[in-house]
Amino acid sequence: MTLPNRWASQFAWLAIWVIAALSLGAWFGGMGWWLAGALALYLARLLRRVYLLDRVLEGATRVPLFEMQGLWPEMFARVEKIRAKARSRKKKYHKLLREVRESTGALSDAGIILNAENEIVWFNAAATRLLGLNPATDVGNRLDNLVRHPDFIAYLARPTPEPVTVPSPSDESGALMAQIVPYGKEQRLVIIRDITREIKLERMRRDFVANASHELRSPLTVIGGYLDALAEDEAMPPTWRGPIGEMQRQAERMTRILRDLIELSRLESSDRTDSDEVVDVARMLELIVGEFESHGGEHAAVSLALDSDVSLLGNESELHSIFYNLVNNAVRFTPPTGTVKVEWRADEDGAVFEVTDTGIGIPEEQIPRITERFYRVDPGRSRAVGGTGLGLAIVKHALQRHDGTLQIRSRESHGSTFTCRFPSQRVVSRTAVAEAV
Amino acid sequence: MDVEDLGHHISRRFNEDLEHVRSSVLAMGGLVEEQLDRAIKALSDADSALGLQVAEDDIKVNRMEVSIDEECSRILATRAPTASDLRLVIAVLKAITDLERIGDEAEKIGVLSARLASLERPSTNYRELRNLARHVKAMVHNALNAFARLDTKAALDVVKADDAVDEEYESIYRQGITFMMEDPRTISRIMDVTWMARALERIGDHAKNICEYVIFMVHGKDVRYTGLANIEAEVEQAHRRQETRS
Repeated sequence: MTLPNRWASQFAWLAIWVIAALSLGAWFGGMGWWLAGALALYLARLLRRVYLLDRVLEGATRVPLFEMQGLWPEMFARVEKIRAKARSRKKKYHKLLREVRESTGALSDAGIILNAENEIVWFNAAATRLLGLNPATDVGNRLDNLVRHPDFIAYLARPTPEPVTVPSPSDESGALMAQIVPYGKEQRLVIIRDITREIKLERMRRDFVANASHELRSPLTVIGGYLDALAEDEAMPPTWRGPIGEMQRQAERMTRILRDLIELSRLESSDRTDSDEVVDVARMLELIVGEFESHGGEHAAVSLALDSDVSLLGNESELHSIFYNLVNNAVRFTPPTGTVKVEWRADEDGAVFEVTDTGIGIPEEQIPRITERFYRVDPGRSRAVGGTGLGLAIVKHALQRHDGTLQIRSRESHGSTFTCRFPSQRVVSRTAVAEAV
Repeated sequence: MDVEDLGHHISRRFNEDLEHVRSSVLAMGGLVEEQLDRAIKALSDADSALGLQVAEDDIKVNRMEVSIDEECSRILATRAPTASDLRLVIAVLKAITDLERIGDEAEKIGVLSARLASLERPSTNYRELRNLARHVKAMVHNALNAFARLDTKAALDVVKADDAVDEEYESIYRQGITFMMEDPRTISRIMDVTWMARALERIGDHAKNICEYVIFMVHGKDVRYTGLANIEAEVEQAHRRQETRS
């Protein structure tokens, strides 16, 4: 083991002290006293340095380093170095913290950190602006005590993947969207965004589509009327019969598209049904399937399997449009040799409506998109079968208003299955209906 | 006696029970606020379906009152709370009664809105009622915030705001009398408007009551029926005491 230089010099200094004391003792006599005196002096100097070191560790900066030898100057220098490093690190963190604070403060979205008890740990300036939180008093308070909208409280208690929208507490026509991001150990970040503008834009878009459809409907009725009159005119040259017939068909298709657009914008205007009544689904399905009775095999045969006689609580015309659109789709995309099976059954989770066809099917990657407006799997073929491109969008929205879900399973060129599930609170059994009457 | 006192307790379960009952009151407050909000929206949008929906949903408020009431009884029976804990339970019991009444008034406003929706509307679309409603809504909101934050100064502000609401009610009432004298055909509609203003004014009173319970809960002083000046003095004094102690 070798000693570092500083220790060697420290021992050298001690040796000098001892040798000096011994030689002075040998010269003047009283060796023991000289030695004791020298060691006491050495100890005093040592104590003074320990004292200085203590002062330095407490934060003193001015230390008389010039009067020191051996181990000490280097030790003090090292302490100073460590302190300088800590100082610069502290400064760096301060700067970083300030930057983080400034950037989160400048964010337009409110961010609030909650602990496991929903108590507020931290929030930014936007939270003060959007929710009226008070930085002086609200840390430690429960967020659901201050933002009390029932939907928000429910969301905080049981977060869903979909963010929740609540009216703004500060702005009467405003709306906020809240989303919870769990992170770290039992901490959650709540992000709240002001979506007032988005909602206004969305409403404008919806109103525009609804108004435009209404405005287009009346001129189209006039055109259709004259076309009908022309088609029945005996004096019409035969060469015009074909084109007029085509114009009639296209006008009729435009009317259907407009009707679907108006229906869709009505469904979108609210997310709940206006009035609920008991709808006899079995009877409704019998009527719908009756419409598709095949005369001479011009389309696929439709069969109906009623495994249950339960009724649904909902809006009759919307339910009709769900069932009709799904059956109609299945028939249109199934060759005349295929079959379409319509099923109505109930289980403990609620009721299920299912349409299974042996048609052309849907490529798997397109399934998530087919409920979008005007989305077509293959533009050529679906227009040829006369769809409006809005049927499934209507089904999706009408189902949402009835708390239902749509599930689509399909294999290309083997067929598709569309399954609608209605929750049990929407289902009314026949005996319950009889009792009510 | 100060704010921190209400947050500490030896038994963790007891503490949780108290905290839960306090949160339930505020959740009930949130529901009542939403009811009031929708009732007023039904008025301004002439949406009779919404008005009737509000009236129907009042049962949710009533159910919450019953369940909080039961929980308070259970705490009183099993924990025998004292001092600030007892004051919290008492304030909660009183506050839920007022909240339930606010719910009833919101129900009334919903029904009246549904009725007014089918009648001819003045060109101002009941601006005076909507103004009054905005003030009252803010009062309820701030009263509940004061309850959540145990903030007696904010509670005092709400108590002060009640005078302005009373004045507004008075002016709607007088205006109504003038209209009815001018044109007797408006009587039934003006009566409905007056009833609605009355309901809003009552909601303001209930919000004020809740604030008085907040002062009682935090400072232990019953300030009901003592006049605004006295309430102000009590709150001032309590805050000074707290400052000198800390």
